[in-house]
Amino acid sequence: MHRRIAIKNLALIIGGAALLPSCVHNSGKASVKLKNVDINADQEKLIGDMAETIIPKTNTPGAKDLQLHLFVLKMVDDCYTKKDQQDFMTGMGQFTDLVKKQYSRSFGECDQKQREQTLLSIEQDKDPKSTTYPAELKSFYGMVKGQTVNGYTTSKYFMTKQVVYELVPGRYNAFYPVRKKQAV
Amino acid sequence: MANLNIDSVKDRTFDAIVIGSGMSGGWAAKELTGKGLKTLMLERGRDVKHIKDYPTTNMYPWEFEHRGEMPMAVQEANPIVNRCYAFHEDAAHFFVKDKEHPYVQDKPFDWIRGYQVGGKSLLWARQTQRWSDFDFEGPARDGFAVDWPIRYKDIAPWYSYVEKFAGISGNKDGLAELPDGEFLPAFPLNSVEQYFSKHVKSKYSNRHVISARCAHLSKPNQIHLDQGRAQCQERILCQRGCPFGGYFSANSSTIPWALKSGNLTLRPFSVVHSIIYDDKLGKATGVRVVDTNTKETIDYFARIIFVNAAAMNTNLVLLNSTSHRFPNGLGNDSGVLGKYVAFHNYSAHMSAEYDGFKEWTTDGRNPAGGGYIPRFRNVFKQETDFLRGYASGFSAYRRRQRGWDGIGSSLKDNLVNDDLGPWSVGSHMMGETIPKEASYVALDAKLKDDWGVPLLKISMDYDDNDEKMKKDYIEQLTEMFTSAGFTNIQASSDHRAPGLDIHEMGGARMGHDPKTSVLNKWNQVHAVNNVFVTDGACMTSTSCQNPSLTYMALTARAADYAVSEMKKGNI
Repeated sequence: MHRRIAIKNLALIIGGAALLPSCVHNSGKASVKLKNVDINADQEKLIGDMAETIIPKTNTPGAKDLQLHLFVLKMVDDCYTKKDQQDFMTGMGQFTDLVKKQYSRSFGECDQKQREQTLLSIEQDKDPKSTTYPAELKSFYGMVKGQTVNGYTTSKYFMTKQVVYELVPGRYNAFYPVRKKQAV
Repeated sequence: MANLNIDSVKDRTFDAIVIGSGMSGGWAAKELTGKGLKTLMLERGRDVKHIKDYPTTNMYPWEFEHRGEMPMAVQEANPIVNRCYAFHEDAAHFFVKDKEHPYVQDKPFDWIRGYQVGGKSLLWARQTQRWSDFDFEGPARDGFAVDWPIRYKDIAPWYSYVEKFAGISGNKDGLAELPDGEFLPAFPLNSVEQYFSKHVKSKYSNRHVISARCAHLSKPNQIHLDQGRAQCQERILCQRGCPFGGYFSANSSTIPWALKSGNLTLRPFSVVHSIIYDDKLGKATGVRVVDTNTKETIDYFARIIFVNAAAMNTNLVLLNSTSHRFPNGLGNDSGVLGKYVAFHNYSAHMSAEYDGFKEWTTDGRNPAGGGYIPRFRNVFKQETDFLRGYASGFSAYRRRQRGWDGIGSSLKDNLVNDDLGPWSVGSHMMGETIPKEASYVALDAKLKDDWGVPLLKISMDYDDNDEKMKKDYIEQLTEMFTSAGFTNIQASSDHRAPGLDIHEMGGARMGHDPKTSVLNKWNQVHAVNNVFVTDGACMTSTSCQNPSLTYMALTARAADYAVSEMKKGNI
């Protein structure tokens, strides 16, 4: 198990972009070592399923291929305030309960369409005083989505295959016609 | 004192000692070793060797654990340095963390420091403008601080001298308030920057928007290649340390040059406790250091000493160098040592949009950062109710707008097919602040650091002049933006503490009169002719131009003078 954690952490460090086979969790603990938020294997799976719904595998890699859910957890654990982390945990509980109530099953057991509808309706509810979606739930969803997209658009896959990030040589063209395709 | 035997004293004796290895210390070492002096360079922090010790320099964005963001625990443990714009995952290792080196804030002061070989020259924003007579004549004209003992003509040849070696890009703009230098090609203005430049020129006789001048090798000359440096690759990852030496740092330029002479001994991990003054000889004889690894106190000896510890720490060293002759700090007959410190006022910003030039964008990155608006207030005559003036940054850019709405494959498509937004423009003020006696640094009476050196107390603040100047900046830039047809103009004023501009200056100011200043026109301590101070501590006033280039020029000039005086037997 330690070796597996080490490999996963390494994958995260080198970009969360390595294509590792997703692993089956037998224990109740999350596979990624966290310091501040206490995440169990079910919760990790939930974040994985949400991230995969946000960035699904199509003819290009999806969130799970890119280990984006581990990146989400890493960022929430390391780069957010205590308050945000509490909202994340509270919101995750609210989210789990809401899905259970709506579909009588867990998010992971929902079909693709149900998953998409669930996330989209949270995203589309712009009412800050919404009774359907409490503030913490929205905050939780915002963190998952924000960091999934952040992890995706800064992943090695995205920055080498979808856009071109050039470390060197750089250049500065002060007048560049818009129609040309640009590197990042 | 440890190891006091004859051979050891000989081993610890040099022709010159340079305290500090950053922007000005590097120049002192280069000049002194180049003139044949066996020179010891002391640095309180660790060694940072060019290229080898830039651990993040070739990392891709996805290789950073948090994609550049600092972990919250680090941010919360470091509220001061965390406010610095460059304190991110890629360069955090070059910044002093808050707890490592405490100081006393009599008034809030964000002291941003880089304790390593190269100092903050690894981290600076690389803007390099000459000062003009409007700056050197400022105190005399406007009646504050004391008269500078030099004028532009005294330093102009030394600007040329350091510019040629460091490599400064820019245009010859022909402005009296911002003298031209020895330039490599400038980084060009983009379409909106150029438009604004033309607009301002047509509407205001004394206002200019020029390409920012910066210490980047846009097109290296042989002297730069000889240093082992190469053309700037326009990566804009400068704060990580540049493996090409594309921008000027002590690590890539002056220090390796000094080492190549065979005359430089570099001693990192050496906190300077004080400069040793011999009452009988009537001069400084050496420097007492504490080895940060062993805590051992060691004395080093030399004929001349250059103090380049960075402005605040240079004051600290001088204040802590007490003797029978100088009970209040070395060379402090006047009592002004530590006083009349000042800084720059960077606390206002502008933003706006421009609905035009949609057919143009930019490609790549501009190391110069865009445009520069030289000071236009109170230059040729006093025209406002505040003293001095401000320069301004100006840049225009188009952001990629990525649709983050939705989820699933449509989101994936949106993220790839990003659109260019409208042109955004931005500006920030860079104001001169007035050195005052009430603005000071001093030694804390009780608190000491791990090496037995008193902690520095810092006390300086904004005043009414700064507030009026800030108001004027916002009014004038708003007017200029409005008349240029920019829209959605927003001014913002932040409440940053002094210090975050990282342009603290003064405390050991230059002047004609030993009764009111610490240094003479050669940066030589009035009362101790073998000690020279050529970093920010020497500055009599602060101008609104960036100060680093002036530190370099003053250092080269002072080193030349010091060696010629040594040869004449005067030192």
